[in-house]
Amino acid sequence: MEKSQLFGRRLPLEQAPASGHGIPALRQVNGRWRCQRCQQWVATTDYLPQQIPYCRHCLNLGRLTAHTKLYTIPEPNQFATLTESPLNWPGQLSPIQLAAAQAVKRYTMAGRDQLLWAVTGAGKTEIGFPALAWALQQGWRVAWTSPRVDVCLELAPRLAQAFTVPQTVLYGGQALPYKYCPLTICTTHQLLRFEAAFDWLIVDEVDAFPLATSPLLQLAVKRAQKPTGSHLYLTATPGRDLQRQVQRRQLAVTYLPLRYHGYLLPPIQVRLVGNWRQRLSQPRLPGAILRRLRRYQQTQQRYLLFVPHVADLSPVQHALQHAHLDGGVTVHAADPDRQSKVQAIRDQQVTSLITTTILERGVTFPAVNVVILGGDDAVFSTAALVQMAGRVGRHPDHPGGEVICYCHSQTRAVQRAQRMIRTLNRKGRRLGGRRP
Amino acid sequence: MKNCVWCQRPVTSGVTLAAMWRWAPLPSPNLCAVCQKRLRPLHAPQCPRCGRQQSTTKVCHDCERWGDSWVNHAIFPYDATLKAYMQQYKFQGDYRLRLVMQPYLRQALAQERYDVLVPIPVTAETWLTRGFNQVTGWLTDQPFQQVLTVDAARKPRPQSSKTRQERLQSPQPFSLQPGATKLLRNQHVLLLDDVYTTGRTLRHAATQIYLGGAKAVTSLTLAR
Repeated sequence: MEKSQLFGRRLPLEQAPASGHGIPALRQVNGRWRCQRCQQWVATTDYLPQQIPYCRHCLNLGRLTAHTKLYTIPEPNQFATLTESPLNWPGQLSPIQLAAAQAVKRYTMAGRDQLLWAVTGAGKTEIGFPALAWALQQGWRVAWTSPRVDVCLELAPRLAQAFTVPQTVLYGGQALPYKYCPLTICTTHQLLRFEAAFDWLIVDEVDAFPLATSPLLQLAVKRAQKPTGSHLYLTATPGRDLQRQVQRRQLAVTYLPLRYHGYLLPPIQVRLVGNWRQRLSQPRLPGAILRRLRRYQQTQQRYLLFVPHVADLSPVQHALQHAHLDGGVTVHAADPDRQSKVQAIRDQQVTSLITTTILERGVTFPAVNVVILGGDDAVFSTAALVQMAGRVGRHPDHPGGEVICYCHSQTRAVQRAQRMIRTLNRKGRRLGGRRP
Repeated sequence: MKNCVWCQRPVTSGVTLAAMWRWAPLPSPNLCAVCQKRLRPLHAPQCPRCGRQQSTTKVCHDCERWGDSWVNHAIFPYDATLKAYMQQYKFQGDYRLRLVMQPYLRQALAQERYDVLVPIPVTAETWLTRGFNQVTGWLTDQPFQQVLTVDAARKPRPQSSKTRQERLQSPQPFSLQPGATKLLRNQHVLLLDDVYTTGRTLRHAATQIYLGGAKAVTSLTLAR
């Protein structure tokens, strides 16, 4: 095994490497075992036959038992020095984006933890480019991470095109093996394999599931960053505690209330329908929904249909087929063909996709409409609704589009989402935003 | 509140009036309703020899090719759910998942007629890396006899990584432990294994058991 494989990482190895130090994977603290990779407690029931504890929390990364050892070599930043900027991006930032990009770069140079709060489709990725180019030129080790694998998969080719430095992409079930590179693109789960590795950590969609609710992953992010390093959070819908950190000035913040093409966000239109789920078994959907989808189909418009639960996917598809509508493709988190199906709509091969909240963010489909079925369901948070609405009108040639939310009843989350978009649009209009 | 051992979601067990009236300990399932639904025991017509799920009840092609009268019973078809289960339990080594199958095994063993229960052993190397025998993990309080040993030198690769031809040509990996004949003489032996794929492993084991003087050998596997 090459030495560089261990730089800034924390890996279980069967044989001790030539250099680097090892620690036991599980450590006993006050009589309870604690995993040193994911920092979770081992339950008293999780023992192998000979009373050997093992960690079930990070089992997917390979089992750790009390007999395993984790090895690491401190990150040495052994990269080729760059004399010129590695940025090789032909695109141009708009004046508003440029101002934001310069602010981000300034905070990065100062080594401050920061938040970029930009509306969906503002071009957050590109705004990060100048700062990233600067960081890579300094010989920093940088990770661009996201809790969503779709986000990483969409991002990787864009970064590969824009930056001329070696890059590695990590996610569960990746095809290529790990390589020691200045730029790492990975899911937040993969950060559990790192320790004090990154000078700068970009966390894309920081408020997304499962990072927002998982102490395990929040810890992974914290530990993967060097003690001297800093981080940049990217999101369109920061949660309460991020906003609180901004107020306490623990996070520097850059706002961007306007999309990159200068058009305003499409507002969420709420339509009240009856109890649609009850009639789903017949199989029927409310006529208003069917009429709208039929119109989309006749005018060859693509649409995303969001449903609250995985269990709703196939009944809805069945009901659409029953109404002689193209049922489209369904996608959920555990779908084995998930990546190929998402790629199919991105390539405009399919016209409609029925999905759950997994596609609420981080993915760009050209010219789609969004239909949310059951927007009043508890699984749709305000952030989720705003993000789903943000799938519409991301392309400068197609800045318009509809966001229709079918609800059984009005809820606070729906109203807050509508209000959030209205507020952002009001701010955007002041910067010269136009209605599509 | 308890979580499902497989998917970690909270298990909600509805306490019925009937259950309270029975005055027995309330049932506390290890699995949630969704996971329980995913696990579908064999239901369609089966091959009478190996228990494979098929469209007719005739002896299947594989069993005809063996040309013997081996009897195997299985609990589940080896479908995507079982594959996912075996992947996590056996190959990732999640020993706690043994709880998922324990009730099914208990029920299946109660329906079998046998004198001695013999689980298929694992090699010493597997024991070192995996840390447990996946078959004995499913047994709760049923007595069993570990009369077989497996020779790692004659089994350099796991069966699951071979093609059908390679599996069929694999040499005898088992041998009897000293003193096994005393336990086996004139007994009806039930072999227990995780997956019946070609039937090679079980027949190898049965050959040795017969050499030990058993009068009959049948087998039970979790999946077919």
